[in-house]
Amino acid sequence: MADYTSLLALRGAFSQVGGHGILSHVPPYSLYLHIPFCRHRCAYCDFNTYERLEALIPAYVQALCGELRWIDRSFGQRLPVHSLFFGGGTPSLLPVGELGSMLEAARESFELLPGAEITLEANPGTLSLEYLQGLRGLGVNRLSLGMQSAQPGELLLLERQHGYQDVLQAVQWARRAGFDNLNLDLIFGLPGQSLESWRESLEMALDLGPEHLSLYALSLEHGTPMRAWYERGLLPEPDPDLTAEMYEYASQRLAEQGFVQYEISNWARRGQDGQPLACRHNLQYWRLLPYLGFGAGAHGYALGVHTANVLAPAAYIQRMQAAGDPGAAQPRLDFPRSPANASAEQPAQREQMGEWMMMGLRLTEEGVSAQDFRQRFGQELQAVYGREIERLLRLGLLEWRDRVGERLRLSERARLLGNQVFMEFV
Amino acid sequence: MSTNIRNFCIIAHIDHGKSTLADRLLQLTGTISDREMTEQVLDSMDLEREKGVTIKASAVRMMYTARDGQVYELNLIDTPGHVDFGYEVSRALAACEGALLVVDASQGIEAQTLANLYLALEADLEIIPVINKIDLPSAHPDQVADDLSNLLGVPDDQILRISAKAGLNVEEVLEYVVQHVPPPKIDPQAPLRALIFDSHYDSYKGVVAYIRVMDGEINSGDILRLMQSETDLKPIEIGIFSPGLRPVAKLSAGEVGYIATGLKTVRECRVGDTVTLASRPAEQPLPGYQKVKPMVFAGIYPVEGEDYDELKESLEKLQLNDASLVYEPETSQALNFGFRCGFLGMFHMEIIQERLEREYDLDIIVTAPSVEYEVVLRDGSLVRIDSPAQLPDEAQLVEIREPWMKIQIFTPTDFYGTVMDLVTKRRGVFIGQDYPAPNRVQLNFEIPLSELIVDFFDQLKSRTRGYASLDYQFAEYRPDDLVKLEILVNGEPVDALATIVHREDAFHRGQAVISKLKDLIPRQLFVVPIQAYAAGRVISRANVKALRKDVLAKCYGGDITRKRKLLEKQKRGKKRMKMIGSVEIPQEAFLAVLRYGDE
Repeated sequence: MADYTSLLALRGAFSQVGGHGILSHVPPYSLYLHIPFCRHRCAYCDFNTYERLEALIPAYVQALCGELRWIDRSFGQRLPVHSLFFGGGTPSLLPVGELGSMLEAARESFELLPGAEITLEANPGTLSLEYLQGLRGLGVNRLSLGMQSAQPGELLLLERQHGYQDVLQAVQWARRAGFDNLNLDLIFGLPGQSLESWRESLEMALDLGPEHLSLYALSLEHGTPMRAWYERGLLPEPDPDLTAEMYEYASQRLAEQGFVQYEISNWARRGQDGQPLACRHNLQYWRLLPYLGFGAGAHGYALGVHTANVLAPAAYIQRMQAAGDPGAAQPRLDFPRSPANASAEQPAQREQMGEWMMMGLRLTEEGVSAQDFRQRFGQELQAVYGREIERLLRLGLLEWRDRVGERLRLSERARLLGNQVFMEFV
Repeated sequence: MSTNIRNFCIIAHIDHGKSTLADRLLQLTGTISDREMTEQVLDSMDLEREKGVTIKASAVRMMYTARDGQVYELNLIDTPGHVDFGYEVSRALAACEGALLVVDASQGIEAQTLANLYLALEADLEIIPVINKIDLPSAHPDQVADDLSNLLGVPDDQILRISAKAGLNVEEVLEYVVQHVPPPKIDPQAPLRALIFDSHYDSYKGVVAYIRVMDGEINSGDILRLMQSETDLKPIEIGIFSPGLRPVAKLSAGEVGYIATGLKTVRECRVGDTVTLASRPAEQPLPGYQKVKPMVFAGIYPVEGEDYDELKESLEKLQLNDASLVYEPETSQALNFGFRCGFLGMFHMEIIQERLEREYDLDIIVTAPSVEYEVVLRDGSLVRIDSPAQLPDEAQLVEIREPWMKIQIFTPTDFYGTVMDLVTKRRGVFIGQDYPAPNRVQLNFEIPLSELIVDFFDQLKSRTRGYASLDYQFAEYRPDDLVKLEILVNGEPVDALATIVHREDAFHRGQAVISKLKDLIPRQLFVVPIQAYAAGRVISRANVKALRKDVLAKCYGGDITRKRKLLEKQKRGKKRMKMIGSVEIPQEAFLAVLRYGDE
């Protein structure tokens, strides 16, 4: 049985105060919009994305707009939103117009707060100046480019279908179009990759002057071509020690360059206000604050409920078409559930605590705070996890950030050993 | 009436179709209706059905109207088909006058075909050869008939050819039994002597002994005496197998049936014992009784210490039905509290392990098996040890003796060389050879049991592409130059990883174990040195590198549930490992010492 008490309490609060006044007490939400289309699937990718389904795009966009409206109706109020993220897949495959209609639907259904972060993931090979100008015109203010590597051989292995030249060009155009918050994704720990070639990729990424860098260690996920190649003996297994050295090198190099590492895989430069230009959308995940997922295979989390949508785009479209327009009809599902959900689960409190720890401890700078834990769960962090924390402190995997008992975070050594820490809390 | 009794058994190499034939006979005689027929009713344990072998012997009475118009009482005694249960087989044979020797039409004669045949001949049984599975495309019944004819001196055309599975010619088998198996020779006036050839434990009736009445008769209400265990008892009931237990008032000489003894443990009522009347005891027990001794020993430990009591109870329950399983509490520095268990052989050990895991749902660690050594000390005393950890300090030792076995390997002649190589590498000594069938050779060796229990059978099978078969019997204890091979993990000797090996093999074995352990022990948060140590020095060492990278990648689109589940899975895997000092060791590591990798 799901527990609706928190939702009912929230609704009760609305009806008493009667309208918008209470909204300042609702934490701002984040919205994730999934675009499951790719011209070509990369060899390492196990995300929910599909080739040769571009014909579905118009119907898909319509369905997604429908889901945005549906959720809005089921909540009954326009929720405040401070970040929106077009992820994929390849969102940059969609024409500006299609992205625009989704943004419009989001603005209709939610209260996009002033200064909200609106990110779009893009494949550097799919862009043009006009396109980027179009995005800016829609209000997209953050661009995340999948650069992955600067080495032609590595890009070929990953089946990326773009070169460094494309990234360089994309960055120049993005700057011209007015983007002042750019992220580059890089992958390290590739089979056969040398420390030298990684250094080079990193330098060439730095040369492009991004505000933000995400560095991911490759993992050979089941069901991907690279995993299959590895299993058939065509690829060597990435060397974990070398991968660790690449990571340590990058941490050091990025610190020299003025980047702040705020998460295991994420670095940001400081903005004009002195604060790191961290990705607000991803911070929402790591802090386990509410977000809603729209589109095929999208995940959401609100009021303690995890939702996951059906994976296949065609099935997603069908679900939303069958649900019809929420328009006049009374919503039949409780927030945050959607007609496209394949599952909606509310973990027990202990599991929610584990999730909160596992996500929060990824934040290498801020970590998790005992005060937040108390506020959220009504229990003392030390009372619940005292033994685990003690053990991990002793092993040198955790540390108190400022004062003992206040903020807990991974030690520098533990940044690449996160699972050994997270495991203790789940 | 006793002239219309036929007591017979079916003997065969494993998988040659013995149980299927038994099923067909039960159906044909209407002992069990087609509706009740589940495949292989005689194998009542799930595990048996899955492994396709019969672990416990069973018996059943069938009434058969033969072509001569008379009704015969046929008692079929099903025998275990595996080499570990040789003694049980011999007692079952002693309860019969005839044996169906079943041979697979594609596989032909195998080691246990011969071993069981020799046992049957020793028990003076009439042998009826039967070629089974003649409907298989790979069958070559003429060839097999020829071989059997040469072996037994029976004309080719008198050898039955059947398919038990397809029901082909099975009726003929019953006629052969009636015509060729002699009726029991009995003396109804003599004092009662009944042979116990099997037993099982029933929670209401206690130990149920399966018996063949040799002389005299048993009436319900008689006070009975077990001659070997010197126990008197008043049975709860006596009866026959039809095929369930059916009480009767009397069992006469020549008949097969059961006694519900009410005894609480199978050890008081051992297979091979003789039942007589307390009021008029026989002078001599029946010949051939042996107390079965375990040959292979291993430690069984719960993965979680708190499961100790449950493991103890499970072993107790298993022992109710299995007199050959012995165990006693054992403490290991590495694995804490568990049990030292004795088994008849590797197969028996495997079955117990599987039953503990499957039927009792226990997570257990089974240590490398060992044999029982005789150790002569400087003070002249002799101690027996069945665990390498118990081996006294080398300075105190005069001599270590170990059990040697006689083995017979039966194989196509093509594999002569590779079999010879395997056995001699394992310190085996060639004794002689026979050619019981064309292109088949039986090689006879003597070999230390310790070499046999570690990976030998698998090696034999792989070297001979599955064709070779093996039989073995205990020979004697012999001294040899043996040393303890110890494994140190992070500087600590791990008793559960110690083995006793020949001095000349210590170096090679030590290296092999270290290189296996190096891969099996997962990286820890610190560097873990592992060393093999024998005869006072380190003979091999390696380091398990420190873990440097273990973190989930990108959190795809906020799928937190999946992330949590992955971590939970990883945590469960970690929990299953055993903490030795501060090092986590997975279960497979304890079996690493089992895999020599001869090649």
